[in-house]
Amino acid sequence: MKIEQALAKLEEITATLERGELPLDEAIRLFEEGVALASEAKRDLDAARLRIDRVIEDAKGALTAEPFDVS
Amino acid sequence: MNDERVYTVTELNRTARGLLETEVGEVWLKGEVVAPKTAASGHVYFALKDAESRIDAVRFRGRSPLLATLEEGMVVLVFGRVTVYEPNGRYQFVASLVQPVGAGLLHAAFERLKERLREEGLFDPERKRPLPAYPSSIGVITSQSGAALHDVLAVLGRRWPLARVFFFPSSVQGETAPAELCTALGRAGRFAHEGRALDFVILGRGGGSAEDLAAFNDERVARAVHASPIPVVSAVGHDIDVSITDFVADVRAPTPSAAAELSTPDRGDVRALILGKADRMRTAVEARWWGTERSLRVGLRASLVREPRRLVEAREQKLDSLSGRLLAFPRAALEPRSERLRHAEDVLRLTDPRRPLERGYSITRIAGKTTPLRQAEGAPPGTEIETVLASGRLRSRVEEVTET
Repeated sequence: MKIEQALAKLEEITATLERGELPLDEAIRLFEEGVALASEAKRDLDAARLRIDRVIEDAKGALTAEPFDVS
Repeated sequence: MNDERVYTVTELNRTARGLLETEVGEVWLKGEVVAPKTAASGHVYFALKDAESRIDAVRFRGRSPLLATLEEGMVVLVFGRVTVYEPNGRYQFVASLVQPVGAGLLHAAFERLKERLREEGLFDPERKRPLPAYPSSIGVITSQSGAALHDVLAVLGRRWPLARVFFFPSSVQGETAPAELCTALGRAGRFAHEGRALDFVILGRGGGSAEDLAAFNDERVARAVHASPIPVVSAVGHDIDVSITDFVADVRAPTPSAAAELSTPDRGDVRALILGKADRMRTAVEARWWGTERSLRVGLRASLVREPRRLVEAREQKLDSLSGRLLAFPRAALEPRSERLRHAEDVLRLTDPRRPLERGYSITRIAGKTTPLRQAEGAPPGTEIETVLASGRLRSRVEEVTET
């Protein structure tokens, strides 16, 4: 899931829990879903490494992206 | 002589004016300033002369600002048109741009192009597109050998490595630079169009002389930026440098590093945002838990008279199970690479119905409080505490606290 969607979903879950209207077992199930989502998003955030591709055009005008080493 | 036409004075002046304006039109003129005078109207009257000749000149108020105050004897380069002031028949030069010689033709051309593109609407604020809050794909157009590429990548790597970077190499100075920059912008647009979405593109270079930055004042580049199907962040030179590209771009950044900075969120901020939400979720569920638990248990006990013991116990077990799952989630569960995270996730995956309370664990809290005690020092001797067991609860008073 893209980080933006994960954040939106997390906010939705948090707001639902804060309204306090769910039966307890559903609230806990939703809480677990939220925590799993939060740890996944945080894992993605911590593990990310910038990936750089260089885009070049061949003689026929087609664009290709190839991994680019910065150093 | 009969067929010779007789002009009125007005007709002659008008004809002369028309001839001058159409035949000579707009020209650059270089000369020495004579007797500059600012009238009450704000118009500036002066004359220009060289070794052999002179011409009256006027610069009307309200044009682009004067690049320098005109002084007697100053050598200037003026741009304007030749005309005749009909009421007195005087031939004069109407200057729209005046600059001291030495500031370079480059700057005059810059001002002229800027005015023209502004009038055409290329700088209109309503056509500026916003950048996404969490970009996933960023284009970079600059030279492969320049410092700008290094600066941009360093900032992106630190702040927002979740984005993928697509680099479109182009020269950024020299004769071929404008055409190459246009080509690169076109490629970025096509690339985005071919389904490999680009959220925006950073276009720029590091600092340099006015001549070095000239490509970013090129009309072709300005039009290519304007035509770009994806938003463009301009990042040309140092803070003080202003380019035509800056005016046309959707977002203007003072330097390449700043462009990377202002177009991305910071990874640390987003991490804090996630942890904040996790905290709020836990607080909400805990409040819900302590609010319901007691009444549920009391209700279950009461229903023993109506329902088989087996059913009631099953529900009590479910309650205990929920309690165990809830308490297994300290905030530390989200800290990186922690033992507790793995442990918490294991607990989550458990389908085995052995509940912590049934296995002999219990929850201790200060009587009347809802949050469980985690440290012995939280309950000094004399404190009344409550212990929640798998079945029932105990109320006791602390005799002694031992630090571990």
